Amino acid sequence: MPRVFAVPVFFVVFRETLETGIVLSVLLSFLKQTVGGEENDPKVYKRLVRQVWFGALAGFFICLVLGGAFIGTFYSLGKDLWGGSEDLWEGIFCLIASIIITIMGAAILRLSKMQAKWSVKIAAALEAEKSKGLGAKARKYAMVLLPFITVLREGLEAVVFVGGVSLSEPPSAFPIPVITGLLAGAAVGWLIYKGGNTIKIQWFLIASTMVLYLVAAGLFSRAVWGFETWKYGRLVGGDVAETGTGPGSYDIRSSVWHVNCCSPVFNGGGGWSVFNALLGWQNSATYGSVISYNCYWIAVSLGFLTMLFHEKRGHYPFMKPSAASSLEGSDNGADKGIESEKGNILSVTQPARVEV
Amino acid sequence: MRSLIFFAWFPLSILAATKTYDFNVGWTTANPDGLFDRRTMGINGKWPLPTIEVDKGDRVVVNLYNGLGDQNTSLHFHGLFQNGTNAMDGPAGVTQCPVAPGQSIVYDFVVDQPGTYWYHAHVKGQYPDGLRGAFIVHDAADPHKDLYDSEIVLTFSDWYHEQMSVLISEFVSIANPTGAEPVPQCALINDSRDVKINVEAGKTYLFRMVNIGAFAAQYIWFEGHTMRVVEVDGVYTKPTEASLIYLTAAQRVSVLITMRNDTSANFPFSGSMDEDLFDAVPPGLNPNVTGWLVYSDKNENPQPAELAEFDPFDDFVLEPVDEQELLQAPDYSFNLDVVMDNLADGANYAFFNDITYVKPKVPTLYTALSAGDMATNPIIYGHNTNPFVLKHNEVVEIVLNNLDPGKHPFHLLYRSEEEAGIYNASIAHDMPRIPMRRDVVLALLTGSERIWLFHCHLEWHMVSGLTATMIEAPLELQKTQKIPEGHLDQCKAQGLPTEGNAAGNTVNFLDLAGENKPPPRLPAGFTTRGIVALVFSVISALVGLAVIGWYGAAGAGK
Repeated sequence: MPRVFAVPVFFVVFRETLETGIVLSVLLSFLKQTVGGEENDPKVYKRLVRQVWFGALAGFFICLVLGGAFIGTFYSLGKDLWGGSEDLWEGIFCLIASIIITIMGAAILRLSKMQAKWSVKIAAALEAEKSKGLGAKARKYAMVLLPFITVLREGLEAVVFVGGVSLSEPPSAFPIPVITGLLAGAAVGWLIYKGGNTIKIQWFLIASTMVLYLVAAGLFSRAVWGFETWKYGRLVGGDVAETGTGPGSYDIRSSVWHVNCCSPVFNGGGGWSVFNALLGWQNSATYGSVISYNCYWIAVSLGFLTMLFHEKRGHYPFMKPSAASSLEGSDNGADKGIESEKGNILSVTQPARVEV
Repeated sequence: MRSLIFFAWFPLSILAATKTYDFNVGWTTANPDGLFDRRTMGINGKWPLPTIEVDKGDRVVVNLYNGLGDQNTSLHFHGLFQNGTNAMDGPAGVTQCPVAPGQSIVYDFVVDQPGTYWYHAHVKGQYPDGLRGAFIVHDAADPHKDLYDSEIVLTFSDWYHEQMSVLISEFVSIANPTGAEPVPQCALINDSRDVKINVEAGKTYLFRMVNIGAFAAQYIWFEGHTMRVVEVDGVYTKPTEASLIYLTAAQRVSVLITMRNDTSANFPFSGSMDEDLFDAVPPGLNPNVTGWLVYSDKNENPQPAELAEFDPFDDFVLEPVDEQELLQAPDYSFNLDVVMDNLADGANYAFFNDITYVKPKVPTLYTALSAGDMATNPIIYGHNTNPFVLKHNEVVEIVLNNLDPGKHPFHLLYRSEEEAGIYNASIAHDMPRIPMRRDVVLALLTGSERIWLFHCHLEWHMVSGLTATMIEAPLELQKTQKIPEGHLDQCKAQGLPTEGNAAGNTVNFLDLAGENKPPPRLPAGFTTRGIVALVFSVISALVGLAVIGWYGAAGAGK
C-alpha cells in the first residue's frame, strides 16, 4: 500500500487544493454579490466568472507541468546524489516537511478567517489596480490574473511542500495521493462554497487536521531517527545495511526499544511503513526519536493553546493587551466584514467596483 | 641453538639430550615486506624468531623472560601433548597465569612425538605481533628417512602493519557489528619476501611447512615440481602426490620434493592467501608471496605463472603410516554449534552453542588440581569457559555444526577422524577445517590426563571467544601432576589466585558468584524502558490531538 499511496502527499495536496478552492469561492461569491445581482448585466457577470475559471485552470495546468518537472528531476538527480548520506538527507527532508505541515496545518481550522483574509487581499488588489491607473486592460483582466496568480502560487507551494514531505517515498507513491488529494480538496472547497462553514465541515476539517499533525509528528521523530542512523552508519562504515533488522543494524547505546521484526524500511516495509508514515513508528527507536516525538506534541499543544488564548483574550499569555487589540474584541471571525448565517462574506469594508 | 644429529643405531633414550633455550621476549622493529617498519616482538633482540629443533625424546627447557614492559605473555607449543606436564602447555588462563612484564617462567617438558610443530604466544591474540616460530622434532625412526637427503623448513604467514592491540580494539567494537576480521597487508615465507632456497640437482628434500599466520590460509605450490605429502600435523602419512596444497592457519604439512636433474633454471614456489574470508579486499593488496628454488645463482629468478584457479589437494586420500583403525562407537558425544552474534556492547562475538569464551579467574588446570572430588563437575570451571569433562581413553564424538558462512580451522589436540562432511574419515590431524554449513563429526580417542582448548585457530575468533575447554581425567591429573613452584610464585607475585573455582572461590566450588562474564545479551523485544517510552508517546499524541480538537471546535459555525 505505501508504495502507491504516500499519505503525507495526500494531505498536503488536499490542504493546498482546499485553500485554492477557498480563494476561488471568495472570488466567485464576491462577483455574485457585486456583479451578479438582478440589477447588473448577466453577460458581464458570466464573462467575469469565466475569466476567473480560466485563470484558475491556466494556473493549475502550469502548476502540474512545473511540479511534475521539478519532482521528476529532483528524483532522478537526487537519488544518485544522496548515496552514502542517504539517512542524513532523509532526515533533513523529513524535518523540513514536518515544519511546513506544522505551520500550515492550523490555518484551515479558521476557515472564515481564511476567507476574510482573501477578501481583503482581492479587494485591495482591485483597489490598487484602480488607483495605479494601470489602464482598462489590466482591470479588465484582473479577474483572470488574480485567480491565475493565486492558483499558480498556491500550486507551486504545494509542489515544494509535497517534495519536502515525500522525498523518501518511491516515485510510484505519487500519482494516486495527488489525484485523490485534488479531488478531496475540490469537493470540500465546493461544499464550503455552497453551504458555508458549517459544523459538519468544521468537524471534517478538525479530523483531517488531526491526521495531518500525527503525520507531522511522525516526520519530526523520523528526522531525528534519520540523523542518528546516519551517525551510526558513519561509525560502522557502511556495513549497517548488511545486517538487516537484527543485532548490529542499530546503535545499542541509544536504543530505547528494538524488535527484529516490523521494520518500516526493510524489504519494502509493508504495513509497517504505513504505520511509520502515519505515526512515525520505528522498530528500532532511539532516545532521540522518542523524546523528539513527545517534544513535538508538547510544542504543538502549547502553540494551539496560545492561539486559543490570544483569540479569547486579545493578547498573548504573559503579555499586556495593547490598546488597539482590546478595542477589536474577539478575533474569531471576519472582523472586516459582516457575515451571513451561513458564514459567507456578504460585504467587505472596502467595496471595490469592478469596471468593465 | 645448534641441533645435534644422532645416528639411528643409538637408542635415543640413552642419548636424549636436554636442549635449553633462554628467551628474552622484547620489542624490536621489523619490516619484512619492505613496506612498513613496525614494532614487533622479538626474542633476544632479534626477529624472525629462532627455529627450535630437537630430537624425539629430548627434554626441552625454555627460560622465558618477559622484557616487553607493557604486555603479558606466555608461550605455547602447538601440537605437543605435554604428557604428564600439562602445566607447561602455555595458554594463559588455562594451564598457567600470564607472565607479567619483568617476570620469568620456565617451561620444562619432554618431547615424545616426531614431526613439524610451532611455538607461539598464547595471551590475548598476541602472536601475530611476531612471537611465533617453528618447532621441529627430528626422528631417528622416521619411516621416510631414507627418502630424502636433507630438510628445509618453510614458514608461511600473513602480516599486519598495525599492532594487535589496536586491531583487536577495532575488531571487537560497536563500530564493527558484523565482526569483519582485519585484512592482512601481505604474506610472508620464512618471515620475509623473495626467499631463495639453494638446492642441488637430483636431490630430494623434505620441506617442512607450517602456517604460522593469524588468519589467512594459503595455497602453496612449487612450479615445475610435484610434492609428496609424508606428514600432516605430526602424523606420518604414506607418500601421496599433490600439486597444490591448502594450508590453514596453524596447520603443518611435510612434503618430499625431488629436484630436477639440470641446473639451468630456477623455479618459483608460491603461497597465496585465501581471500574468501577477507571481508573487503582493499585495492592493491597482493595476496601472494614467492620464493625460489635456486639451482644456480647464475640463473634468473622468474615470476610465477598465474593460476587460472586453485584446485587444492584433498587430504581425504591420505593414509596414515601406522594404519590406525577407525574408531568405533563413541562413549561420549556432544554438539558444538558455531554461531556469531552481537552482545549488548554492540560488538560481534563468536559462540560455541550459546557460550562465548571468557577466561576464568583461576586457570582451569589450577581449578582442577584444587577441587578435590569436585573436579569432575563441570560447573566448577565456570559457565563461560565452556567446559567439557572427558574421561580417560574414551572415544569422544564431537558433532561440529558450522552455522556461520565462514571457513574455520579448528584446533583440537588429538588425531581426529572426520566422519562426515567433505573431509571424510581416515586421516588424522589436529586441524580439521570446517567447511561452511556442513556437519563435521570428529571422533577422537582421549589419552593422558590434561586440560586443553578446542578452538578456532583464526586469531580473531579466539579473541571473540570461539573456544571450548576440554578437561580430561581431572582426578588422574590430581594424582599425577603438580604445578611447579616457579609457576605458582609467578601467579602470586601478580596477586592472582592459584586455587579455587572459576570465580576464585576456594570454599564452595559450586558458587560461581563473581566469575568473569562476557557482556550481557541484547534484550529481545520490548524492555520496561521501551514500553514506558511507547506509552508516553501515545499519551502525548492524544493530548495534542485533544488540543487541536478544542481549537478547531472554537472556530466552528461562526
